[in-house]
Amino acid sequence: GVAPLGAVPLLKEHQAQFQMMEAAYYHMPNPGDSERVRSYMPRNQYHTPPYYIQSPLPHSDTLEFYQRLGTETLFFVFYYMEGTKAQYLAAKALKKQSWRFHTKYMMWFQRHEEPKVINEEYEQGTYIYFDYEKWGQRKKEGFTFEYKYLEDR
Amino acid sequence: DRTPGGPTVHIHNGILQYEDPPGLMEKTDYLIREWINIYNSQPTGRDSTKAFSIFVHQMNMNGILKTDDLITRFFRLSTQLCVESVYRHMTDQSLTGNHLRVKCYNTLDAFVRLVALLVKHSGDSSNTTTKIHLLNKVLGIVAGCLLQDHEQRLVEFQQLPYHRIFIMLFLELNTPEPVLEAINYHVLTAYCHTLHILRPSKAAGFCYAWLELVSHRVFMGRMLAVTPQQKGWAMYAQLLIDLFKYLAPFLRNAELAKPVTMLYKGTLRVLLVLLHDFPEFLCDYHYGFCDVIPPNCIQMRNLILSAFPRNMRLPDPFTPNLKVDILQEITFGPRVLNNFASMITPTSFKKDLDTYLKSRAPVTFLSDLRSNLQVSQESGMRYNIPLMNALVLYVGTQAISYIRGKNLTPNMSTIAHSAHMDIFQNLAVDLDTEGRYLFLNSIANQLRYPNSHTHYFSCTLLYLFAEANTEAIQEQITRVLLERLIVNRPHPWGLLITFIELIKNPTYKFWSHEFVHCASEIEKLFESVARSCFVQKT
Repeated sequence: GVAPLGAVPLLKEHQAQFQMMEAAYYHMPNPGDSERVRSYMPRNQYHTPPYYIQSPLPHSDTLEFYQRLGTETLFFVFYYMEGTKAQYLAAKALKKQSWRFHTKYMMWFQRHEEPKVINEEYEQGTYIYFDYEKWGQRKKEGFTFEYKYLEDR
Repeated sequence: DRTPGGPTVHIHNGILQYEDPPGLMEKTDYLIREWINIYNSQPTGRDSTKAFSIFVHQMNMNGILKTDDLITRFFRLSTQLCVESVYRHMTDQSLTGNHLRVKCYNTLDAFVRLVALLVKHSGDSSNTTTKIHLLNKVLGIVAGCLLQDHEQRLVEFQQLPYHRIFIMLFLELNTPEPVLEAINYHVLTAYCHTLHILRPSKAAGFCYAWLELVSHRVFMGRMLAVTPQQKGWAMYAQLLIDLFKYLAPFLRNAELAKPVTMLYKGTLRVLLVLLHDFPEFLCDYHYGFCDVIPPNCIQMRNLILSAFPRNMRLPDPFTPNLKVDILQEITFGPRVLNNFASMITPTSFKKDLDTYLKSRAPVTFLSDLRSNLQVSQESGMRYNIPLMNALVLYVGTQAISYIRGKNLTPNMSTIAHSAHMDIFQNLAVDLDTEGRYLFLNSIANQLRYPNSHTHYFSCTLLYLFAEANTEAIQEQITRVLLERLIVNRPHPWGLLITFIELIKNPTYKFWSHEFVHCASEIEKLFESVARSCFVQKT
């Protein structure tokens, strides 16, 4: 470094400031300190070798990108990244693939066939749904999907 | 420090602390624990509107809401209790990493949610005054606790609890809800006042969290983009000045210890974001920033001086035969939002200056100039830098209007032989090396995007070079230009234009000067700069 005007010894108050700053340097804020709590996937900073990808792919925060992800990935994002933009995009991508969210069972349903009954209140038929407890897709025959439980009617 | 008054009065009232009535501490402890439990127990948690009304009832039953004073005390005690619990977690050996963090977050987030709900629901929905007063008071209380904690614990001080409270409360208060939108500008003002009170020179142990808050994307976005009519710009500029002022004594010695380097890097990042997203902001406030950034922080200053309005197209400085004189833009003055004329003090000096500019007399004004700018005998701190900057810009702008008044445009011949140029030439000749360095830096700070100041000061610098009576002046002009160009990009447009003109135009006989050839490294350096200037880009 250069100091064209020459070095000037630090005043007492600046020395005191430096001491406080140095102490703070050893407990720097974490990225998580200014984010909402992530219950399932807390930040876990770790030094990874530079030949591994260090930042996400460009445009991986767009709906187009989410539409290219597998359904299971979307379900994972939906259930484990609550309250984030990622969850919002995952839900949008699922809806685009004709999945519908059931607000009572908190699960996603997709028609397996044309419903046997459709009226003002509900539809009935065979559905595929994603069971987040067993973590897999299941089939349900003769299921009644009441529209009052349909998100964003 | 600014006197408590106006909107900050509640912040300052919050900072003040008095004795508490007996039993209040226990009540507060009970209530806040209760609330933390409610907040963290599913499924009532998070939104917690229903739990909140029950809780307010409980607060009422305990007499907390009886008087303003009791509410204030309740907030201060609960802030202290939450902070204490964070310190306890931090010394708990059984807690590590994420567990520790999450424990702290759960306590602090619950407290923040309570504050946000109380602010939102205080008074009726259209009563903004009550809400803003309460918010100011709470921010003042948290700031007061922070300052006291900082002073008492010294190097044991932790930024985390205060950082989390401030940022989470800010995010809560910036959710898209009509009640909150209505008071948004007041929220921003309250935060700026609080951050100014907690500036690094007042709470150095909080400086990293402070910079995180100032540079948080939501805060920056609200301050510089969302708020209409650029109403947040001046307040945001003040916070940056607080940061630059704090860094100055550490940076000017160029001995960067790790903690300083960290804060400095963060500052550069913030400047890069501003340069990319809000260049007009840096343009408008460049003067005030350059006033507080030490002369040796070349890159930091280049980031600010390289900013130009987004609708402007800059001609490539390397274009052969580029005619700067005919550019449309150089007829317009840039916006300078600092009242630099008022910074020329004492008033008697300003008066003498104006007299001299008008009548080009008395000559003694010139001989007294140096003593007016000098403040001490101590090497390295001899001059009043802000006064020098103000003087240079003031004389320059006066010169431009003087030339325009004669229906001419500033160029190499019209700028010569005037009271204005007398002052500049006198400063170049009469000042010692230190003074001249600062003087030439003041001029170089005006070499930015195409505008009337850039053009005038570019001509002035070249004129001073051409008319110099000693090679020392020419060497120093070259030094000031070169040292701003050998650092990494960005480089201000006007700076490049001026330097290219100097080495290209034969009238300056640049290559015949001894200092160009004084050392082989320097000679090589000039040659490489020259190559990049002369060779046509392919």
